[in-house]
Amino acid sequence: MKALVLLSDGRHPVSGRPAPAGTELQAIALARGLTEEVAGLYAGPDAAAARTALGHGLARLEHRRLPEGDDPLPSLAAAIAAAAPDLVLAGRRAGAGAQTGLVPYQLAEALGWPLVPDVVALTVADGVLEAVQALPKGARRRWRVKLPALVTVHPAAPVAASFAIGMARSGHVEDAPGIDAPQDGTALEERPYRPRPRLIASAAAGASAAERLKAATQSAGPGGRVMVDPTPEEAARAILEHLRALGVLKPAPGRD
Amino acid sequence: MSRTRRDPREEREARRLAGSGRPRWRLDAPPTSGRLRRDPRREIDALRVAGTTRLRLDRTGRAGPLALPTIDTAAVAAPTIRIVDDPAYLVTVVPDAPGGRLAPLDRQLLGAARTLADAGGGAVLVLSFGQIDGLGAAGADRIVALDAESGDPSARAAALAIALAALQPRHMLLPESAGGGDLARRLAAKTGEALFAGAESLTARLATRPAANRRIEQRGAPPRLVTLAPDAHLPHAGAPHEARAIAAPEGRADAPHTGILSIEDLPVAADALPLAEADFVISAGNGITDFELFRALARALGATPGASRMVCDAGLMPRAAQVGASGTVLEASCYFALGISGAPQHLQGVARCEHVVAVNTDLHAAMVERAGLAIIADAQQVMPALIALLTAEGEE
Repeated sequence: MKALVLLSDGRHPVSGRPAPAGTELQAIALARGLTEEVAGLYAGPDAAAARTALGHGLARLEHRRLPEGDDPLPSLAAAIAAAAPDLVLAGRRAGAGAQTGLVPYQLAEALGWPLVPDVVALTVADGVLEAVQALPKGARRRWRVKLPALVTVHPAAPVAASFAIGMARSGHVEDAPGIDAPQDGTALEERPYRPRPRLIASAAAGASAAERLKAATQSAGPGGRVMVDPTPEEAARAILEHLRALGVLKPAPGRD
Repeated sequence: MSRTRRDPREEREARRLAGSGRPRWRLDAPPTSGRLRRDPRREIDALRVAGTTRLRLDRTGRAGPLALPTIDTAAVAAPTIRIVDDPAYLVTVVPDAPGGRLAPLDRQLLGAARTLADAGGGAVLVLSFGQIDGLGAAGADRIVALDAESGDPSARAAALAIALAALQPRHMLLPESAGGGDLARRLAAKTGEALFAGAESLTARLATRPAANRRIEQRGAPPRLVTLAPDAHLPHAGAPHEARAIAAPEGRADAPHTGILSIEDLPVAADALPLAEADFVISAGNGITDFELFRALARALGATPGASRMVCDAGLMPRAAQVGASGTVLEASCYFALGISGAPQHLQGVARCEHVVAVNTDLHAAMVERAGLAIIADAQQVMPALIALLTAEGEE
């Protein structure tokens, strides 16, 4: 079985130096759990960040050289078609650039492969990939898809292997020209980032500290129901009824 | 030269408002003397910056000249439902609505859609997978129910692509959440539409989004497909809208991807869940002495166990279980507090919980005030009763 990890021209969020994105390194760790045959794929002008990923457990990196600002999609699709991997893994967002997270989806559409988003665990049996997707509130969803498939990796996946300089230096980089695909000039205007205040629909927004603390700690609506000194059984029944009315607890068995 | 004599009574009589038994006069109308009468309170109100309780005045003059208020002498009617009959265009919204309830981000999304629609006489159309409550109050004009049987997001994206082609909306908004973001990207890849992902501000003319690890802000006119980041827009606060259900657009969806064999939701192991991710948290305070019983109750309810600072300091629960300002700030939808009085630092950790249930011996505890259901009793006695009731129900 052959796995390919898509790498981006990432930048460290604080220092701005070339560094692979965290989820891409986690993707390498996930892929190495399945197979020994894991390669990296990067299409773009400068592979400095992708080369660093070699130190995190990649033996080989395929670099498709492209001019600055070109669309990497045709080069990536061609490289995947040539390498014919069973599984392609990608990070959730690139480590730099527009960070829309669109490339894996466009690639899956172009290749006609199924895509499993936000994966935290992978197993393969008889050409069928079993992937566990992480959802908010700790929920998990299991997908069973036929290989070949494309997955994106969630930050809750197992941690990446630490950097080993020996591996990074012995890793092999295959450099080949990519397919030029200049993008049209309807790009968005860019400015230095200006953080915007989060809008909170609360009467106390912008009020004094005491009022904000009050709003943070007191209930918005009028006080709820109060039961004074019920018997434990009455209390238990009232609590369960209330929790079921809220939809937190499943209805009692045999009730519906 | 003589001046006509003024009759103040006659002038006042001319300004009398008809229709009410009590005598009322239109005091803001310009008096005949030609000198405008100022109403300082109204001027201050017009300068007031909305959204704050503290008095803040905008003196830059952006509010424009003060218009004379029109006094409606008829009795103020009950709040009516706003109806947009013949919309100039459509703004479609695809809320996540887990469990058929609008999440906070869904409400913000509908608020943003409302601003986009009201900018030019458009209507907000909600494309829903399954029944969703409270859409009218959140600002929806029309509802189209799409087939929700398959949990496969690629099938949902295909249904959205059909709706996009049939309805030709000016904008289609999705939440930048796990589900909504995935759906938006599938739709963008499928239709080739440009996607404006994770908009942090959104108006009809301009949308902005962060890029390059929040070093760059990209801005431009919003394209058709936009996803909205959390807390970027206020929910709709105006009059409710009609939320009229209309028929789904005709169209043949392509067959589902043959590569996808099955998709199933796994049961959540609540006790192994990190507190920050948990949806239902049961928490023990100083009123609890039997922690084996507490853990058994947490297992029986399927809740994630938490604790107050007192209990964690005493070493009775792990530090990772601490709820509050110096522990975990919860995002849970329900919080069940056993024997917790509710120090302000603890209540800050519960601030984002939608529902609180409290069991406490003190009627005047802050947690009792915060709770939707408060039981004034010994939590130590209520716990075995709860477990007994749950096991009895399980045996039935």
